[in-house]
Amino acid sequence: MSAVLQTQAAKRWIDWAIIACMVLLAIGMLLPFLWLFSMSFRPVADAYKMPPSFLPPSLDFSNYLAVLNSKVPFVRIYMNSVLIALLVTVGQMVTCTLAAFAFSRLNFRGRDALFFILLVGLMFPAQVTILPIYLGYARVGLLNQPVGLALMYLTSSFGVFLMRQFMLSQPKALEEAALMDGAGYLKIFWRISLPQLRPALSALGIITFTQTWNYYFQAKVLLGKQDQMTLPLAMDVLRGYMGAGNLSVVMAAMSMSILPVVLLFLLAQKFVIEGITMSGIKN
Amino acid sequence: MPTTATVPRSRRSELARAQARTGYLFVLPTAVLYLTFVLAPVVLTCILAFAYYDPMLGSRWVGFDNFARFFSNGRSLQILWNTLRFTFFAVTFNVSIGLILALALNRMMPSWLLYFFRLSFFLPVIIAAAFVSIVWTYFYGDDLGVINYFLRVVGLPGVRWLTDANQAMTSIIIMDVWKNTGFFMIIFIAALQGVPRNILEAAVMDGTPAWRQFFRITLPYISPVVFFCIVYASIGALQVFESIVILTQGGPGDSTRSLSILIVEEGFGSFQIGYAAAISVVMTVLILLITALQQLVSRKWVQQ
Repeated sequence: MSAVLQTQAAKRWIDWAIIACMVLLAIGMLLPFLWLFSMSFRPVADAYKMPPSFLPPSLDFSNYLAVLNSKVPFVRIYMNSVLIALLVTVGQMVTCTLAAFAFSRLNFRGRDALFFILLVGLMFPAQVTILPIYLGYARVGLLNQPVGLALMYLTSSFGVFLMRQFMLSQPKALEEAALMDGAGYLKIFWRISLPQLRPALSALGIITFTQTWNYYFQAKVLLGKQDQMTLPLAMDVLRGYMGAGNLSVVMAAMSMSILPVVLLFLLAQKFVIEGITMSGIKN
Repeated sequence: MPTTATVPRSRRSELARAQARTGYLFVLPTAVLYLTFVLAPVVLTCILAFAYYDPMLGSRWVGFDNFARFFSNGRSLQILWNTLRFTFFAVTFNVSIGLILALALNRMMPSWLLYFFRLSFFLPVIIAAAFVSIVWTYFYGDDLGVINYFLRVVGLPGVRWLTDANQAMTSIIIMDVWKNTGFFMIIFIAALQGVPRNILEAAVMDGTPAWRQFFRITLPYISPVVFFCIVYASIGALQVFESIVILTQGGPGDSTRSLSILIVEEGFGSFQIGYAAAISVVMTVLILLITALQQLVSRKWVQQ
């Protein structure tokens, strides 16, 4: 009896030792962000001071003002990122939910074949679609237009797949009752399915916003000039303009650039994690 | 009459037609966009890969020339090899470390602690590589870098993280694991929670050692998820672009250049559209091969 208790005590001790190690590791994961944030408040002259301090020395916003006053049109670039991310997010919330409703609730000829073809799309990298899109955009004048980048992501296989997974896990009883009462499918979709899907829509919205905010390869190919750039591209330009000495100013620009994504994640961590695990587990 | 409750035949077929009509209508936006921005471009790229494309002089059919050029050229083969090497190590470390972290966290703990862990391991995942790579550029600096500073403090020589051709790829892989392993950790945590508790408890009662519980019960149970993660990680790693562009620009020499970088340089730098198309076809075939291979392997090994 006492032996059992003893091994149980040992086990609890090991549990806590592992958690302590994980806490240290987790802090290690956060260090680059703390460093970035702290650096953004540091006077430019102190940028390379060693050892680096991980707490901001004081709340001096001059680096932030320096970004806004620099030769790079930062506000304009920020607005491009916001515009593209919002357009794509709203677009996908509409198109993916509609398609997912059809794929999970309605019967029509060719449905399963269509869904399969759509899923195959998950395997095609952006590299294999970008050349024709570039050539096509050059012809119709969508090159160097932020709207052009948004246009190509108004739907996604991943979004349809995710929303369909959520819908399949919802009970059908309410919809069938409404159908019996003579409601049309449009009404059922709008009045019954959508309200149940709010958590799923939040997950899709946040994942899509984050992904679009972070696009680099596609943006680099399609958006050339500084006025049409998005934030990830602008960082590299800023780094060049400011030179190595003005590290603090680049970090201020970075802090502002990652802010929306970090906030979204802090506010809705549960939905993001749920959405991602749902897409990964139930395949 | 017992049959009055059922819907009359005409009403039923009317419903079926309404259903089909709504179905097509709802799928239409996605279908049109998918056709325009995925399917048609994929087909066009495959055609372009066999052509010499010139917007001014007109295009020429060149058969397998673009592919021959890619596979007979030492430089492009080196870049292909870089990409494969990066993919192999990034996938191996990301998935296995993600699994180890998930196992370490798969125990009773206060919920605020779990929240903290999810936050700190997942934050790098949701921030663009373009942003975090800039931070890491300064961590990896030769003389002014943070890592080398601490190495010197403990009396070790500094490492030329990004400027040594033999070291640069390793540095990129280290950053990639820091950035992406949290994604796999989250997926594995969810998978581990699905392992039936009573089987594990029975094994504990029988005195089965922990490593054996893992290999006999846990791992077989979560194997479908492990395979999903390997495929997912490979598809992502084969496309690696921005972290390399920002950390090393593909250098020193060509030591870290990846296929994606080569596609952009050939396609949009020197306007060798056909050649760039051929390279992206090679990359896509690699992705399809890895996916198919893993499907085959998983059919044999994965227990459902």
